[in-house]
Amino acid sequence: MTTASVTTDINIGPFKIPSNGQNMIMNNYAQRNNLVVELAIPEPLMSNALVTVQWLHNERKLSRIILCSIHQLPVSQDRIEKLLSNMEDVEFHFALEGISGKGRNFLLECIKEAKIFMNSQTIDSTKTTWLDLYNMMQKNNKK
Amino acid sequence: MDLYKELVHGKGYAVFSIENMQIFEKLRDSFIAKINISNGSEKNIDVVRKAIAKMSKAEINKSMINLLTFTNLSEMMINSCPKLVETLCGKELFIQRRAHTIINVPGEGQAKQWTHYEMISGISPYSYVIWAPLHDLEDHGGVYYIDQKESSEIMKKEEASGLVNGPMVLNMMQHQKPTRLKFGQAIIFNPFVLHGNVSFNSKFARIACNVRFQSYNEPLLQKNSDYLKYYRLP
Repeated sequence: MTTASVTTDINIGPFKIPSNGQNMIMNNYAQRNNLVVELAIPEPLMSNALVTVQWLHNERKLSRIILCSIHQLPVSQDRIEKLLSNMEDVEFHFALEGISGKGRNFLLECIKEAKIFMNSQTIDSTKTTWLDLYNMMQKNNKK
Repeated sequence: MDLYKELVHGKGYAVFSIENMQIFEKLRDSFIAKINISNGSEKNIDVVRKAIAKMSKAEINKSMINLLTFTNLSEMMINSCPKLVETLCGKELFIQRRAHTIINVPGEGQAKQWTHYEMISGISPYSYVIWAPLHDLEDHGGVYYIDQKESSEIMKKEEASGLVNGPMVLNMMQHQKPTRLKFGQAIIFNPFVLHGNVSFNSKFARIACNVRFQSYNEPLLQKNSDYLKYYRLP
Protein backbone atom coordinates (compact mmCIF):
# COMPACT_ATOMS: atom_id res chain seq x y z
CA MET A 1 0.00 0.00 0.00
CA THR A 2 1.82 3.06 -1.25
CA THR A 3 1.30 6.82 -1.42
CA ALA A 4 2.74 8.29 -4.61
CA SER A 5 3.13 11.77 -6.02
CA VAL A 6 2.92 12.24 -9.76
CA THR A 7 4.69 14.83 -11.89
CA THR A 8 3.58 15.51 -15.44
CA ASP A 9 4.18 17.92 -18.31
CA ILE A 10 4.95 21.53 -17.37
CA ASN A 11 1.64 22.58 -19.00
CA ILE A 12 -1.18 21.68 -16.64
CA GLY A 13 -4.44 23.08 -17.99
CA PRO A 14 -4.17 26.84 -17.47
CA PHE A 15 -1.04 26.53 -15.32
CA LYS A 16 2.63 26.22 -16.22
CA ILE A 17 4.46 24.46 -13.38
CA PRO A 18 7.94 22.95 -13.74
CA SER A 19 8.33 19.48 -12.27
CA ASN A 20 10.39 20.66 -9.28
CA GLY A 21 7.59 23.19 -8.58
CA GLN A 22 5.06 20.36 -8.87
CA ASN A 23 7.05 18.38 -6.32
CA MET A 24 7.16 21.36 -3.95
CA ILE A 25 3.39 21.81 -4.21
CA MET A 26 2.65 18.11 -3.68
CA ASN A 27 5.15 17.68 -0.85
CA ASN A 28 3.73 20.71 0.93
CA TYR A 29 0.22 19.33 0.46
CA ALA A 30 1.36 15.97 1.85
CA GLN A 31 2.93 17.61 4.88
CA ARG A 32 -0.18 19.70 5.61
CA ASN A 33 -2.36 16.61 5.39
CA ASN A 34 -0.07 14.25 7.34
CA LEU A 35 0.66 12.09 4.30
CA VAL A 36 4.02 10.47 3.63
CA VAL A 37 5.06 10.22 -0.01
CA GLU A 38 6.82 6.92 -0.64
CA LEU A 39 7.07 6.98 -4.40
CA ALA A 40 7.54 9.80 -6.93
CA ILE A 41 6.20 8.92 -10.36
CA PRO A 42 7.30 10.92 -13.40
CA GLU A 43 4.76 10.77 -16.22
CA PRO A 44 6.17 11.66 -19.66
CA LEU A 45 5.68 15.12 -21.05
CA MET A 46 2.98 15.71 -23.67
CA SER A 47 0.75 12.97 -22.27
CA ASN A 48 -2.14 13.10 -19.85
CA ALA A 49 -3.01 9.41 -20.03
CA LEU A 50 -1.47 8.61 -16.61
CA VAL A 51 -0.34 5.27 -18.08
CA THR A 52 2.80 5.00 -15.94
CA VAL A 53 0.71 5.50 -12.80
CA GLN A 54 -1.68 2.73 -13.88
CA TRP A 55 1.17 0.37 -14.75
CA LEU A 56 2.81 1.00 -11.37
CA HIS A 57 -0.51 0.49 -9.62
CA ASN A 58 -0.63 -3.05 -11.01
CA GLU A 59 2.90 -3.66 -9.67
CA ARG A 60 2.84 -1.79 -6.39
CA LYS A 61 -0.85 -1.51 -5.44
CA LEU A 62 -0.98 2.24 -4.87
CA SER A 63 -3.42 3.27 -2.17
CA ARG A 64 -3.18 7.00 -2.65
CA ILE A 65 -1.84 9.31 -5.33
CA ILE A 66 -1.22 13.03 -5.18
CA LEU A 67 -1.40 15.23 -8.26
CA CYS A 68 -1.04 19.00 -8.48
CA SER A 69 -4.38 19.62 -10.18
CA ILE A 70 -7.57 18.17 -11.61
CA HIS A 71 -6.23 19.43 -14.97
CA GLN A 72 -3.78 16.49 -15.03
CA LEU A 73 -6.60 14.00 -15.47
CA PRO A 74 -7.16 12.49 -18.94
CA VAL A 75 -9.43 14.23 -21.40
CA SER A 76 -10.32 11.61 -23.99
CA GLN A 77 -13.12 9.20 -23.17
CA ASP A 78 -11.19 5.96 -23.73
CA ARG A 79 -8.37 7.11 -21.44
CA ILE A 80 -10.86 8.22 -18.81
CA GLU A 81 -12.51 4.80 -18.92
CA LYS A 82 -9.16 3.01 -18.52
CA LEU A 83 -8.24 5.18 -15.56
CA LEU A 84 -11.65 4.65 -13.92
CA SER A 85 -11.59 0.90 -14.31
CA ASN A 86 -7.96 0.52 -13.19
CA MET A 87 -7.86 3.00 -10.33
CA GLU A 88 -11.33 3.11 -8.84
CA ASP A 89 -9.98 1.91 -5.51
CA VAL A 90 -7.21 4.52 -5.26
CA GLU A 91 -7.64 7.75 -3.27
CA PHE A 92 -6.85 10.79 -5.43
CA HIS A 93 -5.59 14.09 -3.99
CA PHE A 94 -5.40 17.32 -5.99
CA ALA A 95 -3.11 19.74 -4.19
CA LEU A 96 -3.97 23.06 -5.82
CA GLU A 97 -7.71 22.54 -5.56
CA GLY A 98 -7.32 21.04 -2.09
CA ILE A 99 -9.77 18.23 -2.78
CA SER A 100 -9.54 14.47 -2.37
CA GLY A 101 -11.71 11.40 -2.81
CA LYS A 102 -12.06 7.95 -4.22
CA GLY A 103 -14.15 6.13 -6.80
CA ARG A 104 -15.74 6.60 -10.19
CA ASN A 105 -18.16 9.40 -9.21
CA PHE A 106 -15.47 11.48 -7.53
CA LEU A 107 -13.12 11.22 -10.50
CA LEU A 108 -15.89 11.93 -13.00
CA GLU A 109 -16.85 15.07 -11.00
CA CYS A 110 -13.21 16.20 -11.06
CA ILE A 111 -12.95 15.59 -14.82
CA LYS A 112 -16.22 17.48 -15.34
CA GLU A 113 -14.98 20.45 -13.31
CA ALA A 114 -11.67 20.53 -15.19
CA LYS A 115 -13.64 20.58 -18.44
CA ILE A 116 -15.81 23.47 -17.22
CA PHE A 117 -12.68 25.52 -16.51
CA MET A 118 -10.99 24.58 -19.78
CA ASN A 119 -14.11 25.60 -21.71
CA SER A 120 -14.40 28.96 -19.98
CA GLN A 121 -13.00 32.06 -21.59
CA THR A 122 -9.83 33.53 -20.13
CA ILE A 123 -8.39 37.01 -20.44
CA ASP A 124 -4.71 36.86 -21.37
CA SER A 125 -3.09 39.00 -18.69
CA THR A 126 0.07 39.38 -20.78
CA LYS A 127 -1.91 41.20 -23.46
CA THR A 128 -3.95 43.61 -21.39
CA THR A 129 -3.53 46.64 -19.15
CA TRP A 130 -5.13 47.78 -15.92
CA LEU A 131 -7.15 50.32 -17.84
CA ASP A 132 -8.34 47.68 -20.33
CA LEU A 133 -9.48 45.50 -17.44
CA TYR A 134 -11.26 48.44 -15.84
CA ASN A 135 -13.03 49.21 -19.12
CA MET A 136 -14.10 45.56 -19.42
CA MET A 137 -15.76 45.80 -16.03
CA GLN A 138 -17.48 49.07 -16.98
CA LYS A 139 -18.83 47.61 -20.23
CA ASN A 140 -20.04 44.45 -18.54
CA ASN A 141 -23.60 43.61 -19.46
CA LYS A 142 -25.62 42.48 -16.50
CA LYS A 143 -26.40 38.76 -16.70
CA MET B 1 -31.13 51.73 -5.69
CA ASP B 2 -30.03 49.79 -8.77
CA LEU B 3 -27.24 47.73 -7.25
CA TYR B 4 -25.63 46.89 -10.58
CA LYS B 5 -25.40 50.56 -11.58
CA GLU B 6 -24.01 51.50 -8.18
CA LEU B 7 -21.34 48.79 -8.37
CA VAL B 8 -20.31 49.26 -11.98
CA HIS B 9 -20.93 52.94 -12.70
CA GLY B 10 -21.44 54.48 -9.24
CA LYS B 11 -19.40 54.35 -6.06
CA GLY B 12 -18.28 50.80 -6.82
CA TYR B 13 -19.48 49.49 -3.48
CA ALA B 14 -22.73 49.26 -1.54
CA VAL B 15 -23.96 48.24 1.89
CA PHE B 16 -26.79 45.71 1.85
CA SER B 17 -28.77 43.56 4.26
CA ILE B 18 -28.21 39.81 4.29
CA GLU B 19 -31.30 38.14 2.77
CA ASN B 20 -31.26 34.86 4.65
CA MET B 21 -30.32 35.49 8.27
CA GLN B 22 -30.98 31.87 9.20
CA ILE B 23 -28.08 30.74 7.01
CA PHE B 24 -25.89 33.65 8.08
CA GLU B 25 -26.45 32.98 11.79
CA LYS B 26 -25.66 29.33 11.14
CA LEU B 27 -22.46 30.47 9.42
CA ARG B 28 -21.47 32.51 12.48
CA ASP B 29 -22.28 29.59 14.80
CA SER B 30 -20.24 27.24 12.61
CA PHE B 31 -17.30 29.63 12.87
CA ILE B 32 -17.59 29.65 16.68
CA ALA B 33 -17.77 25.86 16.81
CA LYS B 34 -14.93 25.26 14.34
CA ILE B 35 -12.41 27.76 15.67
CA ASN B 36 -12.95 26.04 19.01
CA ILE B 37 -11.52 28.63 21.36
CA SER B 38 -12.61 27.40 24.74
CA ASN B 39 -13.11 30.08 27.33
CA GLY B 40 -15.53 28.73 29.87
CA SER B 41 -18.89 27.21 29.02
CA GLU B 42 -20.38 30.27 27.33
CA LYS B 43 -19.63 30.39 23.63
CA ASN B 44 -20.84 33.31 21.60
CA ILE B 45 -19.15 35.57 19.10
CA ASP B 46 -18.25 38.26 21.65
CA VAL B 47 -16.69 35.72 24.01
CA VAL B 48 -14.58 34.44 21.10
CA ARG B 49 -13.67 38.01 20.05
CA LYS B 50 -12.60 38.93 23.56
CA ALA B 51 -10.50 35.78 23.93
CA ILE B 52 -8.80 36.36 20.55
CA ALA B 53 -7.99 39.99 21.45
CA LYS B 54 -5.79 38.65 24.28
CA MET B 55 -4.07 35.92 22.24
CA SER B 56 -0.62 36.11 20.66
CA LYS B 57 -0.31 36.11 16.88
CA ALA B 58 1.05 32.54 16.99
CA GLU B 59 -1.92 31.39 19.09
CA ILE B 60 -4.36 33.04 16.68
CA ASN B 61 -2.69 31.43 13.65
CA LYS B 62 -2.82 28.05 15.37
CA SER B 63 -6.54 28.48 16.09
CA MET B 64 -7.21 29.54 12.52
CA ILE B 65 -5.88 26.19 11.28
CA ASN B 66 -9.05 24.75 12.83
CA LEU B 67 -10.98 26.71 10.20
CA LEU B 68 -9.57 24.51 7.41
CA THR B 69 -12.51 22.24 8.15
CA PHE B 70 -14.95 25.07 7.34
CA THR B 71 -15.19 23.86 3.75
CA ASN B 72 -18.70 25.17 2.99
CA LEU B 73 -18.12 28.78 4.06
CA SER B 74 -18.24 30.04 0.44
CA GLU B 75 -21.56 28.36 -0.28
CA MET B 76 -23.01 29.61 3.01
CA MET B 77 -22.04 33.19 2.20
CA ILE B 78 -23.44 32.99 -1.33
CA ASN B 79 -26.63 31.31 -0.11
CA SER B 80 -27.08 34.07 2.49
CA CYS B 81 -27.78 36.52 -0.35
CA PRO B 82 -28.90 34.48 -3.37
CA LYS B 83 -31.13 37.12 -4.98
CA LEU B 84 -28.39 39.72 -4.92
CA VAL B 85 -25.89 37.27 -6.42
CA GLU B 86 -28.33 36.11 -9.09
CA THR B 87 -29.21 39.71 -10.02
CA LEU B 88 -25.57 40.48 -10.68
CA CYS B 89 -24.27 37.22 -12.15
CA GLY B 90 -27.09 34.81 -12.92
CA LYS B 91 -27.46 31.35 -11.43
CA GLU B 92 -24.34 29.76 -12.87
CA LEU B 93 -21.26 30.99 -11.06
CA PHE B 94 -17.62 30.61 -10.36
CA ILE B 95 -17.24 31.12 -6.61
CA GLN B 96 -14.17 31.17 -4.42
CA ARG B 97 -13.27 27.60 -3.48
CA ARG B 98 -12.46 28.61 0.08
CA ALA B 99 -13.89 31.90 1.35
CA HIS B 100 -11.65 33.86 3.71
CA THR B 101 -12.11 34.50 7.39
CA ILE B 102 -10.20 37.55 8.57
CA ILE B 103 -9.39 38.26 12.19
CA ASN B 104 -8.10 41.70 13.13
CA VAL B 105 -6.69 42.30 16.58
CA PRO B 106 -7.09 45.73 18.24
CA GLY B 107 -4.21 47.97 19.24
CA GLU B 108 -1.41 49.93 17.62
CA GLY B 109 1.28 47.82 16.00
CA GLN B 110 -1.06 44.99 15.07
CA ALA B 111 -1.10 43.77 11.48
CA LYS B 112 -3.46 45.69 9.23
CA GLN B 113 -4.35 45.44 5.58
CA TRP B 114 -2.89 48.27 3.52
CA THR B 115 -4.92 49.91 0.79
CA HIS B 116 -5.30 47.67 -2.25
CA TYR B 117 -7.51 46.60 -5.15
CA GLU B 118 -8.84 43.05 -5.22
CA MET B 119 -7.68 42.95 -8.86
CA ILE B 120 -4.05 42.64 -7.78
CA SER B 121 -4.67 38.98 -6.92
CA GLY B 122 -5.69 38.01 -10.47
CA ILE B 123 -9.44 37.61 -10.08
CA SER B 124 -11.52 38.52 -13.13
CA PRO B 125 -12.62 42.15 -13.63
CA TYR B 126 -16.14 40.69 -13.72
CA SER B 127 -15.89 39.51 -10.09
CA TYR B 128 -17.61 40.95 -7.05
CA VAL B 129 -16.59 40.63 -3.42
CA ILE B 130 -18.93 40.29 -0.46
CA TRP B 131 -17.45 41.27 2.91
CA ALA B 132 -19.48 40.59 6.04
CA PRO B 133 -18.60 41.00 9.73
CA LEU B 134 -19.79 38.29 12.13
CA HIS B 135 -20.88 40.91 14.72
CA ASP B 136 -21.79 44.60 15.00
CA LEU B 137 -18.97 46.93 14.01
CA GLU B 138 -19.14 49.74 16.54
CA ASP B 139 -15.54 50.92 16.33
CA HIS B 140 -12.99 51.48 13.57
CA GLY B 141 -12.33 47.76 13.16
CA GLY B 142 -14.12 47.60 9.82
CA VAL B 143 -12.98 48.32 6.27
CA TYR B 144 -12.76 51.71 4.54
CA TYR B 145 -13.62 52.04 0.86
CA ILE B 146 -12.47 54.70 -1.57
CA ASP B 147 -15.13 55.36 -4.15
CA GLN B 148 -14.63 54.16 -7.68
CA LYS B 149 -14.10 57.61 -9.18
CA GLU B 150 -11.12 58.33 -6.92
CA SER B 151 -9.88 54.71 -7.08
CA SER B 152 -9.89 54.70 -10.88
CA GLU B 153 -8.21 58.11 -11.11
CA ILE B 154 -5.39 56.82 -8.92
CA MET B 155 -5.16 53.63 -10.99
CA LYS B 156 -4.87 55.68 -14.19
CA LYS B 157 -2.15 57.92 -12.70
CA GLU B 158 -0.24 54.87 -11.46
CA GLU B 159 -0.53 53.10 -14.80
CA ALA B 160 0.84 56.18 -16.56
CA SER B 161 3.93 55.95 -14.33
CA GLY B 162 4.23 52.17 -14.71
CA LEU B 163 3.17 51.30 -11.17
CA VAL B 164 0.46 49.23 -9.52
CA ASN B 165 -0.22 49.66 -5.82
CA GLY B 166 2.65 52.13 -5.56
CA PRO B 167 3.32 54.71 -2.84
CA MET B 168 0.29 56.80 -3.83
CA VAL B 169 -1.95 53.87 -2.88
CA LEU B 170 0.11 52.50 -0.02
CA ASN B 171 0.18 55.89 1.71
CA MET B 172 -3.61 56.17 1.74
CA MET B 173 -4.06 54.49 5.12
CA GLN B 174 -3.97 57.78 7.01
CA HIS B 175 -7.22 59.44 8.04
CA GLN B 176 -9.49 56.73 6.68
CA LYS B 177 -12.77 56.00 8.44
CA PRO B 178 -13.98 52.41 8.19
CA THR B 179 -17.67 51.82 7.53
CA ARG B 180 -19.75 50.87 10.58
CA LEU B 181 -22.10 47.96 10.10
CA LYS B 182 -24.58 45.91 12.12
CA PHE B 183 -24.48 42.12 12.20
CA GLY B 184 -26.58 41.13 9.19
CA GLN B 185 -25.26 43.93 7.03
CA ALA B 186 -22.53 43.39 4.46
CA ILE B 187 -20.64 45.29 1.79
CA ILE B 188 -20.38 44.27 -1.83
CA PHE B 189 -17.75 45.89 -4.05
CA ASN B 190 -16.12 45.61 -7.44
CA PRO B 191 -12.45 44.60 -7.71
CA PHE B 192 -11.25 48.09 -8.70
CA VAL B 193 -12.36 49.81 -5.49
CA LEU B 194 -9.46 50.61 -3.18
CA HIS B 195 -9.97 49.51 0.39
CA GLY B 196 -8.11 48.55 3.54
CA ASN B 197 -8.31 48.81 7.30
CA VAL B 198 -6.67 50.81 10.07
CA SER B 199 -5.62 50.26 13.68
CA PHE B 200 -8.48 50.37 16.13
CA ASN B 201 -8.99 50.33 19.87
CA SER B 202 -11.33 47.85 21.45
CA LYS B 203 -11.49 44.98 23.93
CA PHE B 204 -12.70 42.80 21.08
CA ALA B 205 -11.07 41.42 17.94
CA ARG B 206 -12.84 41.99 14.64
CA ILE B 207 -13.96 38.89 12.73
CA ALA B 208 -15.28 38.98 9.18
CA CYS B 209 -15.67 36.72 6.16
CA ASN B 210 -15.38 37.51 2.49
CA VAL B 211 -16.13 35.66 -0.72
CA ARG B 212 -15.46 36.40 -4.39
CA PHE B 213 -17.77 35.34 -7.21
CA GLN B 214 -18.41 35.95 -10.88
CA SER B 215 -20.71 34.79 -13.63
CA TYR B 216 -19.80 31.46 -15.22
CA ASN B 217 -20.41 33.17 -18.57
CA GLU B 218 -17.75 35.85 -18.09
CA PRO B 219 -14.05 35.26 -18.69
CA LEU B 220 -11.58 34.37 -15.96
CA LEU B 221 -8.29 36.19 -15.47
CA GLN B 222 -5.46 34.41 -13.62
CA LYS B 223 -7.49 32.67 -10.95
CA ASN B 224 -8.67 29.27 -12.12
CA SER B 225 -9.55 25.94 -10.49
CA ASP B 226 -6.88 26.61 -7.86
CA TYR B 227 -9.05 29.39 -6.43
CA LEU B 228 -12.52 29.07 -7.92
CA LYS B 229 -15.11 26.37 -8.33
CA TYR B 230 -18.23 26.03 -10.41
CA TYR B 231 -21.42 26.60 -8.42
CA ARG B 232 -25.06 26.75 -9.42
CA LEU B 233 -27.47 28.64 -7.20
CA PRO B 234 -30.36 26.46 -5.98
